[in-house]
Amino acid sequence: MSAGVGVDLENLWIRFGDFVAVRDANVHIKGGDFFSFLGPSGCGKTTILRAVSGFLDPSEGKVLIGGNNMIGIGPNKRPTALIFQNLALFPLMKVWENITFSMEIRGASSAERRKRADELLDMIALPDQGDKFPSELSGGQRQRVAIARALCAEPDVLLLDEPLSALDLKLRQHMRTELREIQKRVGITFIYITHDQGEALTMSDDIAVMRAGVIDQIGDGKAIYNDPATAFAASFVGENNVFRGKIKQVNGGEALISTNRSGDLVARISSANQGKLNVGDDAMMFIRPEALAIAPDGASGDHFVTANVTHEEFEGNSYNIFSEGEGGKEIKVSIPNLGQSFENHTGQSITLEYETKNAVVVPAGELAAE
Amino acid sequence: MTGFLKEFFNRNGIGVGAIMLGLVLFWTIGLIVLPQLSMLDFSFRPNLPPPEIGGPKDVYTLENYKYLVFGPEGGGQDYNAVDLRVFYRTLIAAALVTIFNLILCYPISYYLGQSEGNHIRIFALMLIIPYWINEILRAFALRIIFGETGVLNTVLIGSGVFDQPFDFIRNDIALYAGLGYAYILLMIFPMYNVIESLDRNQIEAARDLGAPWWRIHWRVVIPYAKPGISSGCTMVFMLSAGALAAPQILGGPSSLWFTQLIYQQFNDNNDWPQGAAYAVVLLVTCIALVLAVMRLFKVNMGDIGK
Amino acid sequence: MNNKILRISIWVYLGLFFAYLLGPLVIMSATAFNSPGFPRATPWECLTFEWFGALFQDERILNGIWNSVLVGLGTVTLSVAMGLAGALMLTQISAKVRSVYYTIIIAPILIPGVVLGISTLVFWDRINRMLGLGADSFLSNGLFLTIIGQSTFIASYCMLVLVARLQRYDMVQTEAALDLGASHAQAFRKILLPFMRPAIASAGVLAFLASFENYNTTTFTFGEYPTLTIELAQKVRYGITPAISALAFIIVLLTVFGALANEANIKRKERIAEARKEGALPDVKGISLPGFLRGNPAAVLLVLLAIGTITVVGTATAYSPAQCIADVKETKRLEAEQRIQELRAKREADRAKQKAEQGEEAETQQSTPKPSNNSGFGNVFAPTTLSDDEEEGAEAPEPSNNSGFGNVFDPDALQEDDQSNSE
Repeated sequence: MSAGVGVDLENLWIRFGDFVAVRDANVHIKGGDFFSFLGPSGCGKTTILRAVSGFLDPSEGKVLIGGNNMIGIGPNKRPTALIFQNLALFPLMKVWENITFSMEIRGASSAERRKRADELLDMIALPDQGDKFPSELSGGQRQRVAIARALCAEPDVLLLDEPLSALDLKLRQHMRTELREIQKRVGITFIYITHDQGEALTMSDDIAVMRAGVIDQIGDGKAIYNDPATAFAASFVGENNVFRGKIKQVNGGEALISTNRSGDLVARISSANQGKLNVGDDAMMFIRPEALAIAPDGASGDHFVTANVTHEEFEGNSYNIFSEGEGGKEIKVSIPNLGQSFENHTGQSITLEYETKNAVVVPAGELAAE
Repeated sequence: MTGFLKEFFNRNGIGVGAIMLGLVLFWTIGLIVLPQLSMLDFSFRPNLPPPEIGGPKDVYTLENYKYLVFGPEGGGQDYNAVDLRVFYRTLIAAALVTIFNLILCYPISYYLGQSEGNHIRIFALMLIIPYWINEILRAFALRIIFGETGVLNTVLIGSGVFDQPFDFIRNDIALYAGLGYAYILLMIFPMYNVIESLDRNQIEAARDLGAPWWRIHWRVVIPYAKPGISSGCTMVFMLSAGALAAPQILGGPSSLWFTQLIYQQFNDNNDWPQGAAYAVVLLVTCIALVLAVMRLFKVNMGDIGK
Repeated sequence: MNNKILRISIWVYLGLFFAYLLGPLVIMSATAFNSPGFPRATPWECLTFEWFGALFQDERILNGIWNSVLVGLGTVTLSVAMGLAGALMLTQISAKVRSVYYTIIIAPILIPGVVLGISTLVFWDRINRMLGLGADSFLSNGLFLTIIGQSTFIASYCMLVLVARLQRYDMVQTEAALDLGASHAQAFRKILLPFMRPAIASAGVLAFLASFENYNTTTFTFGEYPTLTIELAQKVRYGITPAISALAFIIVLLTVFGALANEANIKRKERIAEARKEGALPDVKGISLPGFLRGNPAAVLLVLLAIGTITVVGTATAYSPAQCIADVKETKRLEAEQRIQELRAKREADRAKQKAEQGEEAETQQSTPKPSNNSGFGNVFAPTTLSDDEEEGAEAPEPSNNSGFGNVFDPDALQEDDQSNSE
């Protein structure tokens, strides 16, 4: 596999009037990586993608593709291909014409185009569908045609703007694997935009979590999930229980937090915040539902939490217990279903415990909207 | 502005963008705004032979407007009664034609907009076909019908309604019928467009609540169709008031249309500034009337043409 | 019961409505086949095709058609281009200026045609003078002025048609093309234009028809290029013959033909699209003729109309109404003679009476062939218009006034005279 062409964003600012869509983004994307921008809608991730593909000029900073500054170069001159959110297949062209549109632009003959279309149709497992119109295909098929069309342009970087959002759940999950496989096969850099953390986590080599124009954290899936840099990253990626409070004590990599609802609790300081948290700072502590367990009654200490159970649910692979949390939020406990019997706790007060390595503390900040 | 231009050329490219911008500017400035301003300017100038245009005699004057109100200088009359009467009559008649058309066309617009089936397409075709036929020929067709020995008189005399031919043309009936006829489609089309988008369930709901049909129209359909109605009425009024062919062909001998006066100033009297002044008066009055009525019924200019 | 009344009244209304709409065209078409020199459907005299012959020998009409086509082509090109540019601009312009811009480009629809004609004439005349060009310059050329004047408002119609389609265009399509390496011009030509093609075709047809029938604007700008409409207006104002009806009939026929062909084509495309959806992919060209007709009433009508036209034209070349016309002439002559006799008798009596009252004076009156003051508004008849009618009623000069269809002629001639009368 070739190393592929990398993409760098350096001090990138994008403003629309007074509104700052992207604030000082610095990202290094390695060649051949599957890189995702993950964030809620309106966080500026699509704006970044448009700056990379050349549809808009950044207000400040640089976009480098393969080390070359792309500022001032139009979208039709950049070595990128974009898969649009709504795919933007050309409705009046047949599938094979769609796929080989970039060759038509380059002046390739009809026979050449036919041949290349057939190869690509085979690759996306849609042989013999070239003479249909896009409107005659199913959603998943259209998806694959869009990918083939982008690949036909032989880009160094493929940009994907939430391409799976229009598909149903089953198909979406199937397409994740397929996209990842295609990426491995062609070996070029993929930049993927999504608000779906599942997509980002399963497919990406690296993920950038974005909030309101700011990149909160860049790292691989495990780092993002286990070691969030900000309250937003912790609450946006996966489910998380939040405990607010102030730092009471810092011991190397750990901190004691005096929480508003559960007394003093101990947690690991996330790696991005090592040495940055001081006693008295407002902080937030996060514990994943699956990291909480029911402790024997009466247990107490800096890794125990008591809670009033409001309701429970059985989800198949897990049993979920919900208790009253802070500020209207619930504390969720998820116990894996290993065939044991579950007791009904609704209405009771229970004690929960966790291991320190599974609780992470970050400076207090904005949480992701539910 | 420069931001817009930059964005515009970024989006459309230099070549396509320049052609687009050029065409739009030519159309809006070169064909719409400047000619109207030029006509306005011209209407304030005296009628001079070409060599003297731009010369010392070419000064601004209200003469042409005065003429419409007071008639020729020393004409012995206090007011230009003839032209003013024509002006007034044109506006009244155009308004009547508009109302007539509205009443005639509302039911069919509603019917077309709310019915389904193959026959609707055929009706639509039957509506459109007459408008692909020359305006002059449409007026001509009506003249054949309304003439003294025309079909209508033959039928009416034959059936004993009249014992001698009725002069439809002298009584302006032919003219009103012709103007109405000429703009039926312009009335129907906007109304149809709006009514078609009205959710049938709303009517069903109103009927379900026991509203009689006239109340359904008064409370549900007409308020909804207001933009279409105003659009249609505006177009019919403006075009009737500005019509020239129908009055020339179907007008009675004693009733001139204001546009005919303009035409005479240009073609018979060769007094362009005078004609321009009359045109300005017609344009300004019509627009003022339309805006006033639109304000009265609380509709926006933006609805026109939808 | 109530429902039934409603239903019946709807159909009565529809009947009346379409009678009003289509009746005049049918009657006008019928007059093209009636032999009298003045176009009328009643009384029916003889079936004739001579007016078509007369039409095709009319140099001015033919020249008018040619000019109309020239003007039409120019107007279609200019107004579709401007309409498309205007529509594209409308979708890109910022919300703040949009309403002002929209008002400007929609205004020409509402500005009376005469005003547009005048302003075009005045403005370009001024430009012409500013550039120091003569009266024969390009800018004062009738063809140029007419195209410019018509395009001013026809472009607005085109814009409306185009913007309706453009609203359904996904601008992302253009971006996709650019992203795949197309230049802006290529994206425009290969993506936007094909998408807009149906609307451009509609706008083009609309523009041509609007140009072809325009009178109000053209009447000020045509210069040395009188279009068909101008020629028709001249004819209709100063004396009409059934040759105009014949022209109208041809236009009606062409229109119906075009409409049906269009309808049949739409139906056919729908059916092909349906067939493709169902999985079968029939070759578009492979649709056989019977298949083209099946379940397609417009196509059936179209074929019937074509057959009808061919039959009529075939008959027309073989048919001669000479005998019939001669018969009618004879009948008319007899009638007219009788009427003259009656009139003479009446006049005799009058004269006797007048003589009794006034003596000699009546003698001079009687010697004028056309006593213009006979009826109250006799002098308003333009002589040219009368002469058209004279052919058939040649032997009855005086009654033609009394018969009364005199004043269906040229009201304009009437108006001018009448105005002078009323002042």
